[in-house]
Amino acid sequence: MSVLSRFILASLLIAVIPARFAAAEDEPAHPPVSFAEHVQPILQNHCAKCHDNGKAKGGLSMKSRASLLEDGEAVIPGDASKSKLIALVTSNDPDEYMPPKGDRLSDKEVAILRMWIDQGVKWNEAGAAGVGGYIAPIKPRRPTLPANEFGVPNPIDRFLAVYFQKNNIKPAPIADDSTFIRRAYLDIIGLLPPVERTRSFIEDSDPLKREKLVRELLANDREYTEHWLSFWNDHLRNDYAGTGYIDGGRRQITAWLYESLYENKPFDQFARELVNPAPASGGFASGIKWRGRVNASQVRELQYSQNVAQVFLGINMKCASCHDSFIDDWSLSDAYGLAAIWSERELELHRCDKPMGEKAVPQFVFAEVGSIDATVERSQRLEQFANLLTHENNGRFTRTIVNRIWARMMGRGLVEPVDVMANEPWNEDVLDFLAVFLADNDYDLKRLIELIATSQAYQRQSIAVDQSLNKDGQFIFRGPAPKRLTAEQFVDAVWSITGTGPDKPNAGVSEAISKQWQPRADGEGPTVRSSMVVSSLLMRSLGRPNREQVITTRPNELTTLEALTLSNGDELTNMIQKGAEKYANDNDAHLGETLFLRMLSRQPTKDELPMVHAYLGENPGKDKIEDVLWSLLLLPEFQLVN
Amino acid sequence: MKNHNQTNRRDFLKTSASAALAASAMPYITAPLARADDEQRPIGEGTKSTADTIILLWMAGGMASTETFDPKHYEPFEVGLPVEKIYSTFPAIDTVVDNIKICEGLEHMAKVMDRGTLIRSHTVADLGDILHSRHQYHWHTGYVPPQTVAAPHLGAWMAKLLGPVNDAIPAFIDIGQRLEDVGEKEELKAFHTAGFLGGEFGPFVLPHPEQAVSAVQPPEGMTPKRFENRYKFYQRLIEQGAFGEVKGSEQRDSIIRSMDNAHRLLSSPAGKAFDLSLEPKEHFEKYNTGRFGRGCLLARRLAENGARFIEVTTEYVPFLHWDTHENGHETAKRMKQEIDRPIAQLILDLEERGMLDRTLVVIASEFSRDMIMEGGPGSDAKDQSRAKTDVLKEMKHYGMHRHFTQHGSVLLFGGGFKKGHLYGETAPERPCIATKDAIGVTDLHATLYSAMGIRPDVSLNIEKRPFYVTEDGKGVVREALFG
Repeated sequence: MSVLSRFILASLLIAVIPARFAAAEDEPAHPPVSFAEHVQPILQNHCAKCHDNGKAKGGLSMKSRASLLEDGEAVIPGDASKSKLIALVTSNDPDEYMPPKGDRLSDKEVAILRMWIDQGVKWNEAGAAGVGGYIAPIKPRRPTLPANEFGVPNPIDRFLAVYFQKNNIKPAPIADDSTFIRRAYLDIIGLLPPVERTRSFIEDSDPLKREKLVRELLANDREYTEHWLSFWNDHLRNDYAGTGYIDGGRRQITAWLYESLYENKPFDQFARELVNPAPASGGFASGIKWRGRVNASQVRELQYSQNVAQVFLGINMKCASCHDSFIDDWSLSDAYGLAAIWSERELELHRCDKPMGEKAVPQFVFAEVGSIDATVERSQRLEQFANLLTHENNGRFTRTIVNRIWARMMGRGLVEPVDVMANEPWNEDVLDFLAVFLADNDYDLKRLIELIATSQAYQRQSIAVDQSLNKDGQFIFRGPAPKRLTAEQFVDAVWSITGTGPDKPNAGVSEAISKQWQPRADGEGPTVRSSMVVSSLLMRSLGRPNREQVITTRPNELTTLEALTLSNGDELTNMIQKGAEKYANDNDAHLGETLFLRMLSRQPTKDELPMVHAYLGENPGKDKIEDVLWSLLLLPEFQLVN
Repeated sequence: MKNHNQTNRRDFLKTSASAALAASAMPYITAPLARADDEQRPIGEGTKSTADTIILLWMAGGMASTETFDPKHYEPFEVGLPVEKIYSTFPAIDTVVDNIKICEGLEHMAKVMDRGTLIRSHTVADLGDILHSRHQYHWHTGYVPPQTVAAPHLGAWMAKLLGPVNDAIPAFIDIGQRLEDVGEKEELKAFHTAGFLGGEFGPFVLPHPEQAVSAVQPPEGMTPKRFENRYKFYQRLIEQGAFGEVKGSEQRDSIIRSMDNAHRLLSSPAGKAFDLSLEPKEHFEKYNTGRFGRGCLLARRLAENGARFIEVTTEYVPFLHWDTHENGHETAKRMKQEIDRPIAQLILDLEERGMLDRTLVVIASEFSRDMIMEGGPGSDAKDQSRAKTDVLKEMKHYGMHRHFTQHGSVLLFGGGFKKGHLYGETAPERPCIATKDAIGVTDLHATLYSAMGIRPDVSLNIEKRPFYVTEDGKGVVREALFG
């Protein structure tokens, strides 16, 4: 029997049992009530009109859990029978019963409220939000696919056609071929398109050439892997050097990660192998062991809780690792519940680093998905947890990853910030559809990327986020937002353009890759990619992070200190000098065009070409070429994926 | 030099990359300067606001107080001497202040002790193992690692909250610490950062003072004329280029704005401040005891020209410099030769220029050392001496080879602090713990922030929760230290 049907049965039973018996039960025979799924709709229907959205009739406000509990009478956590709310919704006195107008609550609804109060008045994740506000669902939802009446077969576009029409939005026009090929290359494999491929793509008259290009890029397993390696290194705080490695307090998962990306491991399996790991993938789960004493909220077990919750569920457990969170409804016992799943020892709850004399009980965060048997041994707990995390009813798992991928491709998530999945998406249908799509397609991330990249939504001209706001300041989608090149994308591009860069991967990485792996020799890309070597000064200054914490977004803007490094730093200057030497030896009569095509994937305009020629002059020397290279590299057009 | 006030800060925000924009680079910072309930409180409310600039002289690796500013019973080297008899390996010398004696080898500093306050009771946390990188992280950020978000360096907070004094000079400058090709470099990078404040407020890193000017000049070998032409060409490409569709995007704006800032700095006369070769030779030599000494000179030049927070370090390299695990005496002697004259000269130079009143020079270290005891009384920290012995056999045994957390010397010159003042006491015999006015990192930082006009409980919201300049906003200002 499913959890849900057991629940309905239980709630109907209780509905006919006198309340005092139900309340007297020590052990709940029924699964915990889900606020989002069961309680909030009731409060929203019957109460929110007068007790939320700025109203607090009779002094009672449901704008947050705290306000509901404030008077100490209306709702008493753990005691429905003494809570005035129950008395009023069940009262027959026309002067006092609630709600005064509209339908009375059904017996089943009252039973749900009783159980909810008895179980401690669990609120939504965004504990500060009212009952009338947005509640992120946990279960997956399969939105009805709109008919293809606008001639756009891609499901994303079908949903968005409705969205554009309903909100009276004029989307951005479709971007031209050169913008598209540069975008697709950089987003999918992280490299600039080779000049010949750009030419052939632009000349190709096949109406399906964009779809074909996307598939071609996704089929390039190696470059796909070495691009997304950085994304996952950030999320899984995997690095080749750093705190903890020196004395075995931290382990790399590079070999496992490289292989998993290369073979496009289904994402549910990928996650299971990280949270219930074999040795090769254990570095994420085991975290960083710091020498000496650390704060109780930062022991490895709580690192596990925080990192797993953040990366896979878009939940911030950092506050709750130290005390019940003030900003959402996650509590110390939730944070320790996840930690205890991982823990090899008995964990004592600590509030703000002080022991509380209470033992942590292994538990999962979403009761509606299922629970962990706290009595079984660790390996079984971990297996149960891995299964719950990736359970088909855990829509949060799929929503979180599709939102992350959408944000990488589109420059902004459906939900923002990407680590707060309790926030409302700007289009619930697209988010929910993509989440279900991923699960339906064996959790194949490449299929997901393909679906996004072949949508019209992705192919539109880019629009700055700050120009994508309606008059109320809310985000509206008209096209993808421009993205800044990551440090790795920028450095890879510079290495390929100038023919510089290392000729072998970092020691820790070479062990991770197969014997067949060879440095690249065709000159179209870097010999060895920057994701495969330890961070350099230049990369660090361009935002490649120190991976002591989970990093899910990179800085989007160029700072003055970075601009200084780019204007006179040795690393870039030396590469440009070597590149200029190479181009000077080529004696290319069309150097201007060559560089524009190579770097910007387009021809110079009729205004640009004379400018470049005038600067270069006849038979340009190395200096002039250096200056042009530098100027093109520093152009916003170059530094952004448009 | 302009005085610190809110107008300066606004000017900076207008002309340079703005704090708000930098903050938006990290989508999680949602933040004005304070918690929702006291959003309107000025950051300087209730502070002393006695300084505009801090120069932090960092004695990296753990400077033994008993060999420097807190002399104890001295025994000269003698084969067969039981080590428990030794508290200092240098005799005490007089200073210009009657009740302050310091150790031999600091004769120049002895002459300027009447310009500042000597704290002898600085204690730091015992974190189990006494590790340089964790203690240095703690001292520089106010938070013990690990943290769930990247904690900002003291200097980054100053840069964020106060901005530069002169916007042609980066607000936060870090002199002398190499972050590449040294041991524990990743651990060092972890706190040489603006953390969640965003890269705009991070350190401008100058590992080699004598080469500092190259960091603010066009690339080597490029004439100013060519540099200018290159930039003009770049600007024309932007202005007349084909790239118009996403005009006004925040990323594009940030690139243009930051490139412009960088160009301005690289062609500004203020760049001369970085050029030590412009210093009169005779004066240069007064500082020229090594990289640290030249760093002090550079710090003075930068402070004169409007930097906000400058750190000069003797440089942390595991087992070198102040990090003595053997040969402590010889090493301490050499280190004192390196720091003594430049620090004293820096104080005198600042005074001569009328800057000492509003410039605060801080000398500190991540912990002190002892000959016998690791950590402090009752500590179970692992003994890290490499010259373990009960009686002296050879010279390498002679010195402070263990980490000690329960006392430590900090000096505060200028910036509104008392002059010729001694604060705190330490026990004359082992364990030489602070016995009066012990002050930890949190209160010490609160005091420094207050001197700079920043409340110790100023916070920024990161991931929706407040992150304070001192740990949990709890730092208490030691009013008694101010003049």
